[in-house]
Amino acid sequence: MKNGFRQSMAWLHTWTGLLVGWMLLLIFMAGTASYYREEISRWMRPELPRSSVSTDLAAQRAVDYLQAHAGQAETWFVTLPQPRNPAMTTFWRNPEALADPDKGRRGRFGNATLDPGSGEELNARETRGGDFFYRLHFDLHYIPVLWARYLVGFCAMFMLVAIITGVITHKKIFQDFFTFRRDKGLRSWLDFHNVSAVMALPYHAMITYTGIVTLMFMYVPWGVKAAYPQDEARFFAEAFGGLPDIATPADGQAVPRPLVQLLDSARRHWQGADVSGFTVTHPGAGNAVIDIRQRDGKRLSIDTPTLRYDMVSGTLLQESGPPGGATATRGVLYGLHLARFADGGLRALFFLSGLVGCLMVASGVVLWAVKERPKHARNGRTGMGLRLVDALNIGTVAGLPIAFAAYFYGNRLLPLQWEARADAEANVFFCAWGAALLAAFAWPKRMMWTGQLYLGAVLFAALPVLNALTTDAHLGNSLRQGDWALAGFDLAMLAFAAMLAMCGWRLQRWTPPLSAAEKKKRAVTAAADAAAGHSGAGA
Amino acid sequence: MMLLALSLAFSAFTALSLAMDKPPAGAPGSLPARPARRRQWRVVGWALLAAALAVCVGRHGWALGPVLWLGTLTLGGLALAFGLYPFRPRWIAPLAWALPALSVLATLL
Repeated sequence: MKNGFRQSMAWLHTWTGLLVGWMLLLIFMAGTASYYREEISRWMRPELPRSSVSTDLAAQRAVDYLQAHAGQAETWFVTLPQPRNPAMTTFWRNPEALADPDKGRRGRFGNATLDPGSGEELNARETRGGDFFYRLHFDLHYIPVLWARYLVGFCAMFMLVAIITGVITHKKIFQDFFTFRRDKGLRSWLDFHNVSAVMALPYHAMITYTGIVTLMFMYVPWGVKAAYPQDEARFFAEAFGGLPDIATPADGQAVPRPLVQLLDSARRHWQGADVSGFTVTHPGAGNAVIDIRQRDGKRLSIDTPTLRYDMVSGTLLQESGPPGGATATRGVLYGLHLARFADGGLRALFFLSGLVGCLMVASGVVLWAVKERPKHARNGRTGMGLRLVDALNIGTVAGLPIAFAAYFYGNRLLPLQWEARADAEANVFFCAWGAALLAAFAWPKRMMWTGQLYLGAVLFAALPVLNALTTDAHLGNSLRQGDWALAGFDLAMLAFAAMLAMCGWRLQRWTPPLSAAEKKKRAVTAAADAAAGHSGAGA
Repeated sequence: MMLLALSLAFSAFTALSLAMDKPPAGAPGSLPARPARRRQWRVVGWALLAAALAVCVGRHGWALGPVLWLGTLTLGGLALAFGLYPFRPRWIAPLAWALPALSVLATLL
């Protein structure tokens, strides 16, 4: 290691950043995209109706559908349409006896996405939409979910160390607060990395720390194990559940109260707050209960208040209790990470900060290569370490945007009626990224950088065009109808294309800086020319 | 309301950058100003930051307000450091005066 505290921190910052930098780029890009996952999902299912029916009507339609298709289920779980997500999701759990043996653990469950207007199941193309990016950023893909979460957690903890050591090592953090000197090579890269890190420092620290908190029971499980040695499930029920399970249905059928009445009772109890969804346990039985959840309002916490009503008598049975201090703290931290409370402007600021985070990580890994290269130039050839970093940099910083664009191309171009198209879309993403990485490993030079950046720009720019050629949800229509989710997506694609093109163009025009010896030679030649010119003019 | 908060944050950071001992690259050659002047800019800067926080909290409460405030600071700071100081330093002073004024007008109307 190095002498001196600051130097040790600098060494630690470099290595914790570099070793997980490329994985962090994937996590950050996918996570940032997730801020708009509902809008992305809408763009990827343009067949979805845009109707807005009242909450009560939607709820009634959901219950009617479930009565018809899942009448024997133990539990119904309904998420009502939201302003940003017009579809309605339903989910149910069948009794043990009716489980589908072919599906293993999942055999007891069923789900359906409904159109709240018609009450019928949605007839739109199979796709995971924006949820692919959401899952990608902590479950990764192709590997067991548990491994992925440990890996992502490991990277997040390294990033936390990188943030802290970065701040310690940045001696002139206040003096250089606004400093960005452009066109100065290594100096500019360092300034860019510093400013992008410091300007969004609260965000970067928050998103990394809260990300670890969301999976904290995986990473630090021993407290729960020590306090609840036999029965960990009871810890979760006590800390978060609040409302106990009702194991057995009562005998006989009973007619429940009208749904509207129950929902209105909840709204009155909450003094106006609306309903985001509900869960019905033992529908149709004498002891059927409905747990009504409040819509994510102006609270930071992820835990939403829930009311439990007896479905037959309509009386309020229980209310989710005020959480303990630790639970409430975790709820707020979790809530900050998911940012469900964020609307229009605030969500845009979160998205911007996420993008700045991507730029911070990208500039960091590139900065390392820029700093390292002169040491190799002296030897005349590039060492294996630098070549590896160069290849990974190109394949990830320029290659991942290509993969993102390819995913959207897959959505528009794969056959509509194919059931496996959701998985195929994900495969397209990884094939594109793999191709970019392979190309980068084959030729990790500046030409490959410009090539991939330009390719990304072209793909993004052509996406709204493809949209117009394949669907009705193109910019012409979406702007006219004021559908800002769809229009915003296409416009964002154009904005990304412009950014990538600008980067590619600047890189194409870049010339290497002159060495000290070369500068001296040119100065001597220039002086000689000036002297000759002088004497020529004088004569 | 968010436009107002953003404008206040931007102007606040402009004032604070004028108060620095070593102004950012691209700043007019007349900087750094005399210490008394710099002190004034520092006071103005912090006051505008507080005003931006007040606007955010007033509109959105103490839960979402500070979160929104930090977001506006990020955007304001990035606009100055990546956009204006390196490329258009002469736009900074006019914008720092005009933006809050226009935003206040827009809010009142």
